[in-house]
Amino acid sequence: MVGDKGRAMTKRAMFLRILFKSLSVRKNRVFITFFSIMTGASIITALSCVYFDISAKMSRELRAYGANFFLGPASASGSRTLDARTVEEAIRMVPSEKLAGASPYVYGMVRLDLGNAVLAGVDFRGLRRLSPYWQVEGKWISVDFDDEACLIGKSLAKNMELKVGDRVNVIGTETGFQKSLTIKGVAETGQAEDEQIFVNLSLAGKFLGMEGKVNHAMLSIVAEGTDIDGLAVQMGRKFPGLEARAIRKISHSEGKILEKIKGLMAIIAVIILVITTLCVMTTLIAVVSERTREIGLMKAIGAGDRDIVLQFLAEALIIGMSGVAAGLLSGFLLAQVLGRAVFGSAIAFRMIALPMIMAPLVAASLLAAALPVRMAVKIVPAQVLKEE
Amino acid sequence: MFFRMLKQSLFRGRRRKALAVATIALSATLITALMNIAIGVGDRMSREMKSYGANINVVPKGEALHLEIGGVDYNPLKGLVFLNEADLPRIKEIFWHNNIIGFAPFLEKSVEIARPGKKHVRLIGTNFNRPAHITGDEDFRSSVKTVFPYWQVKGAWPRDEEASGLLAGAALARELNLKAGDAITVKPPGRGGLEQVFTVTGILATGGREEDVLVAPLHVVQLLAGLEGKVKSVSVSALTVPEDRLSRRARADADSLDSMEYDRWYCTAYVGSITHQIEEAIPNATARPIWQVAAGEGAVVNKIQLLMAVVTLAAFIASGLGISSLMVTTIMERAKEIGLMKALGAADWEIYLLFLSEAALLGAAGGMLGCVAGAGLSRVIGLSIFGTIVPISPIVIPVNIVVSVLIALSGSLLPSRLITKLYPAEVLHGRR
Repeated sequence: MVGDKGRAMTKRAMFLRILFKSLSVRKNRVFITFFSIMTGASIITALSCVYFDISAKMSRELRAYGANFFLGPASASGSRTLDARTVEEAIRMVPSEKLAGASPYVYGMVRLDLGNAVLAGVDFRGLRRLSPYWQVEGKWISVDFDDEACLIGKSLAKNMELKVGDRVNVIGTETGFQKSLTIKGVAETGQAEDEQIFVNLSLAGKFLGMEGKVNHAMLSIVAEGTDIDGLAVQMGRKFPGLEARAIRKISHSEGKILEKIKGLMAIIAVIILVITTLCVMTTLIAVVSERTREIGLMKAIGAGDRDIVLQFLAEALIIGMSGVAAGLLSGFLLAQVLGRAVFGSAIAFRMIALPMIMAPLVAASLLAAALPVRMAVKIVPAQVLKEE
Repeated sequence: MFFRMLKQSLFRGRRRKALAVATIALSATLITALMNIAIGVGDRMSREMKSYGANINVVPKGEALHLEIGGVDYNPLKGLVFLNEADLPRIKEIFWHNNIIGFAPFLEKSVEIARPGKKHVRLIGTNFNRPAHITGDEDFRSSVKTVFPYWQVKGAWPRDEEASGLLAGAALARELNLKAGDAITVKPPGRGGLEQVFTVTGILATGGREEDVLVAPLHVVQLLAGLEGKVKSVSVSALTVPEDRLSRRARADADSLDSMEYDRWYCTAYVGSITHQIEEAIPNATARPIWQVAAGEGAVVNKIQLLMAVVTLAAFIASGLGISSLMVTTIMERAKEIGLMKALGAADWEIYLLFLSEAALLGAAGGMLGCVAGAGLSRVIGLSIFGTIVPISPIVIPVNIVVSVLIALSGSLLPSRLITKLYPAEVLHGRR
């Protein structure tokens, strides 16, 4: 009994000693194994982090297409205008981190020096974030309370023979309110805006006699999936006089594009996962299979097949786990570099990525250790030891 | 002697070498596929981006300003200039004709719906699916469906050949209580004018101003308006490349380009050069980019290209490191052999040469295998994501083989240096 117990103990001590020695003496090989697992793990980590964050990032990028949400007076109310305060409140319902930009609009007719034009009152700061696609020659108006400046559409500018820096007299056709404005920029969009003149909301209110009123508002909301329609329903319920809806052209296309991008990233991530895992495995096989002689020796001094397999798997597991842990860390850093380089913002780490990274790599290192060991276990010690 | 050693070293440790080639081939597969996708992705994505609708609008030159607020026109005298429908096929005959995905002409007419209350609505004429008669591309059809893929019709699309079908916008249909299959009587505004009965074949949802109008085949509206063969505007959907410095300069001041820059601008599918070519092709037309679509597309496509490039680079570095570590193991385990060679009088450079030429051969073999596999892989990716094959860019193949060889070489350089530094006696004795 005692002998058995003693043998078991020495066996365990032996096991630990071999394990420790093989890790500490063969530093070179251990380092190479560790290193190759680490690089594999970091690329997989980086890619899966990017993959899980790609929809959030790209849906922000897709805001380059401008407004995807419309707020207007409900057709049932019969009114063509909304109270500016109601609109503000409704806009505030959108979480600020989801709101890429928003601007109320008020429209009316004005007289310029050479003829009539449509005047639009907007919130310039919001508009700039709302419609990054505007091609502005000259400058944007950067402050909301600038009462001396206007933006003018390209076609209108051409027809009225105006250019950046000119002054233009604007007269409200209905109110008679008159003011001379400097043209800060000429905007081109290729759409109706090309034929309009833009001033800030409060000034437009004076020209048109519609202070405190707006016609509608446009919002650009970062939305993954369909929560944008839910928001529209919520807003409609809270403000009965308001019609809130997603702009189909933008929101529908956005979903389709996001799906494509996600699909692309997914397939690339999977390919990188598989190929990197295979690469790590071939390296590990190369490292392990040069130890055939050692296995022969171990068998010659009485190690059982089970002991050998256990020995090698334990070793692979230790190196594999520490390699994966280091890889996780460096991969997360790599993901940040990727995120900064491409999207200009950090990439969030999601727990769901963890098993996706750990499982294949740990499996790969175990498999890579097991394959050559299995082959080695079959060999006859004398043969191996004799062979040079 | 050298070749015999090289040959033997390659064929003796055959399993080991096969492993090295396999690793290099796997990495090369990855890089080939990624590079190929990175190069092709801009083109593919910009095709996907066509779901945002037309990016170029063609209108008659000298058209008066629109004074339109919320669908009410304050300048009814406008709209006296038109484009000739017969000129439209020329859009598909410009230098970049292959990049024109589709075009749809529009003509608008204000009509009255003959029912109590005499509702005024706008009737828009367009092509739903009509042969465009392009020489060289007989199958090309002018269709609003290709230009605005986001238009959704509940019911059926009208047929161009028939004069009685039309679509009713969703908002209008709600207001008038119309559904697919209903009949609607329409006449030009004012006294007299022929009443015409249409069947609503479907309800149109677009989320835009088209929801308040009726949409009928173009020739029907032309007839109703007395404007046979005329159109008011054409929406064109074209594949373009993102804007860059050259195109911005061309837009700001086309005269500032010298002739070489001008040629380069003209022969690049910028939205600006395509509009320029459309203006050249159609007399009295102004073609304007719709910047919402054109600039948005540029921004997004640029991002995706950048993303792919960075991912490719990362994969590149990772596989380079992987291959290097493999080369280190394959070389280090041959310390004994090298010791023997040195003891027999081999010079350091001979050992270098042996290892490096071996690495180069392995790298080339792996690279070539990887190219073949990578080409297949990028085909699979293209088919499964974009539904079309991503063509193999010829640049990828030489780059890949050269890179594989370089990685294998640089991976071998360090361990070769270590190994030549060893003392033969120590190695042969078994201590090192």
